[in-house]
Amino acid sequence: MIRVNRSDHKVRVMRGVPLAMVIATSAIVALGSRSPTRLVPALSWASPSLQFPFGCGEAGVDLLALVAHATLRGVALASAVALTGFLVGCPLGASAGLFRGRFERLVGRTCDLVQSFPSFLLALVVLSAVRVPTRVHLGVVFALTAWAPFARLALAQTRVLRDAAFIEAARALGASSARMIARHLVPNLLGVVAVQLGATAAAIVVSEAALSFVGFGTRDGVSLGAVLDQGVASMLRVPHVLFAGAASVFVTSASLMIAGRMASSRSDTHVGRAR
Amino acid sequence: MAAMLATPKTAANALRKLVGNVADALLVVVALASLVFLALRVLPGDAASLVLGDQATELERAALRAKLYLDQPLLLQYTHFLRGLVTFDLGESVRRPGTSAVSLVVGAALPTAGLAGLAVLMGAAVGIAAAIAGAGPWLGERRSWVDKAATALAATPLLAIAPVFTYALAARLRIVPLPGDPEAGALGLFFASGLLALPLSAHVARVSRAALDDVARAQFLDVARAKGGSFARVLWIHALPAAAGPIVTVIGAQLGSLLGGAIVLERLFERRGLGSLILDAYASRDLPVLEAAVVFSGALFAFVQQLASAVHALIDPRVR
Repeated sequence: MIRVNRSDHKVRVMRGVPLAMVIATSAIVALGSRSPTRLVPALSWASPSLQFPFGCGEAGVDLLALVAHATLRGVALASAVALTGFLVGCPLGASAGLFRGRFERLVGRTCDLVQSFPSFLLALVVLSAVRVPTRVHLGVVFALTAWAPFARLALAQTRVLRDAAFIEAARALGASSARMIARHLVPNLLGVVAVQLGATAAAIVVSEAALSFVGFGTRDGVSLGAVLDQGVASMLRVPHVLFAGAASVFVTSASLMIAGRMASSRSDTHVGRAR
Repeated sequence: MAAMLATPKTAANALRKLVGNVADALLVVVALASLVFLALRVLPGDAASLVLGDQATELERAALRAKLYLDQPLLLQYTHFLRGLVTFDLGESVRRPGTSAVSLVVGAALPTAGLAGLAVLMGAAVGIAAAIAGAGPWLGERRSWVDKAATALAATPLLAIAPVFTYALAARLRIVPLPGDPEAGALGLFFASGLLALPLSAHVARVSRAALDDVARAQFLDVARAKGGSFARVLWIHALPAAAGPIVTVIGAQLGSLLGGAIVLERLFERRGLGSLILDAYASRDLPVLEAAVVFSGALFAFVQQLASAVHALIDPRVR
């Protein structure tokens, strides 16, 4: 099932390093005495200094603290949504592939439809109905569409696997469908689907930032999008706010994407691509 | 190809496919429309006080409720809404009385369509050119750079690079005007579309490179080369049309993020368009305009997506 090739294994573990560093750095900063909401008007738009490595933003908010807290919350939200999508989509796709027939077609079509949905628009629609969007609202909105790529990947991979000898053997031994999905199919999907975990999480970090950039974010203003928003407003006077925001969006989403490739060796991904 | 189309069976198949596609598009639009309808009514919070604020008198609220049919049963409201959809009459703007929501939306749709359309053209052109450069013989060892650049660019969110590019090119170097500037004109539009096209071009480059590599192994290319076709001829007449399917598909698949990107860019540049209309309508709780704008964007999106799959079928007879 999981063949371990030493050098390959090392490369794969290394892929988790950027994300671990991002989380660890943010956590250390966030646990310190810096507050992302304390305002010191005298320090408005102050340039980076030893005391404030990222400088200060609107009304003198400490950008390092703001970025650290926002990154942590963004990663937490993204992981939660990506995991939900995984937990819903994977078994759904695997069972669709296993049971075949009408159910398989139905799941396939639904995935097509959900994936062809303009998700940013959907998020705007749902969020426009709540008075004050919270992270829970954001998570629900993202989860509405996040499961579809997982289900589709699992379905494609199950189509390849379902005629494999070990599935037939499991069936011959009298394994129930649930057991076959949980013990034989899903573990074999992990390599392919993990890449999607990373991609989904990265996309959600960016979407959350984008939503809060356009004004649909949480009211506390602790979001990478809010940093970017401040940065754009102050672009002509002080560019450091903009750079802090843009760099942290990039680093966070890239590290999530790279970490998603942790579980997959080269050979795994190709099966998924072949479809 | 024409002969194939003419047989009754293929014609019937094409028709069935067309009907299926139209049904798909309708389903997306109706689902989105119903969602926006439901979202604004069923989720907690009185819509009238959302619109007017907490200070409004009960009388004002009641008047607004009557105007938006909010005082009627949900099913009746939905019928009203659906009738409005079909007749393109979704009511008046709450904020700008006398202006119909649909006319506001149509006015805002043109700038967005221009922005996104130009971005698709630029993204496709640059992406395919990069793929050809990567597949062709000119770059030698450096060919892998193209792939690496495309991969890096595809992983870079528009949200992160657009402000930085804007700062560098428009604010600092002043090479291009700020696209939100009313006097920015064509160059501003070009710049904004170029930004929007960046991630798209990277995706197109990656997919068309893979498609070209796939096609390169096909026997018909050997035949074309053996007949003495030049590189350009083999590429344009034989290889690219065969690789067009995945390219069109990836553009179709990127439309959603293109729409999201357009909204972000319109907010960034304070440019007029569907995105800024939606954001304004949200900020001022202008429900009819919000509904109309969302439904229209969804319809536009679904239409273009079906257009992509139709183009795909037109270029590649294997899909029919």
